Amino acid sequence: MIKVYALVVVVALLGGVGYAAKSYYTSTQQKIQTLSENNAKLEVAIEQSEKSVNLLKDEAAKNAELSKNLQEKLQKAEAYGDNLRNRLRKLDLLADAISNAKNLEGRMNGATAKLWRELMAETGNNTGGTSDLPFWLQQNNAGTGSEGSDKNTKSDSTDSSKTKAD
Amino acid sequence: MTKIQKVTVPIVARPKPINLTDTQVYVVNKGNLEAFIAEFTEQNGELAFVALSIDTYENLALNVSELRRFINQQNEIIVYYEKAMTKELDKSKEK
Repeated sequence: MIKVYALVVVVALLGGVGYAAKSYYTSTQQKIQTLSENNAKLEVAIEQSEKSVNLLKDEAAKNAELSKNLQEKLQKAEAYGDNLRNRLRKLDLLADAISNAKNLEGRMNGATAKLWRELMAETGNNTGGTSDLPFWLQQNNAGTGSEGSDKNTKSDSTDSSKTKAD
Repeated sequence: MTKIQKVTVPIVARPKPINLTDTQVYVVNKGNLEAFIAEFTEQNGELAFVALSIDTYENLALNVSELRRFINQQNEIIVYYEKAMTKELDKSKEK
């Protein structure tokens, strides 16, 4: 009788151990599956993050290059006004007007005509640079103001980028 | 998970280019005043004109130069934004 009890106890123990082993195996498999899924998600997240970081780096480099170009061009746009101010400071238009009005008139008209054409070209009007000069400039040899020139008066070119108002 | 989404804005057409008309300046002093009156009346029929002093003319020229600077700088800023909104630079890097 004792042997039977012992056998029952042993069988029960073995059954318990077997059940525990199965439960452990099942839970472990579930954990492995969950961890694998999490790992896959993390890999995707890392890949996405790397792409985002690279995109941000590219954008930063592109923006830096564009900003540099912009600053250069903004500075360049100041050149015309700076040149004009310097020219006006150096020249004495009042003296030129008194000593040789025709010369100054030709230079002013030539520079003004050139300025209008440059402005038109800068806004995309390509006909500006090729349009005929007005008759008053054609009469005055394209604005050089040669009529009655005074030897003391500078006969500057009509390049408006240099001598817009002279 | 943070995903960077680039905003895209359609590039609109630029405004119509400016079309300027030529302007004539007369420089008049005591010596050529009478000749100017005769020539001007012959050209325009009536003797009526707008006169500017040399200083005012200089100011006008400087004002135009300021407008030109502003137009050009505004234009460059528009070009900057247009380039920033397109993938032109990215493509050139890939080449």
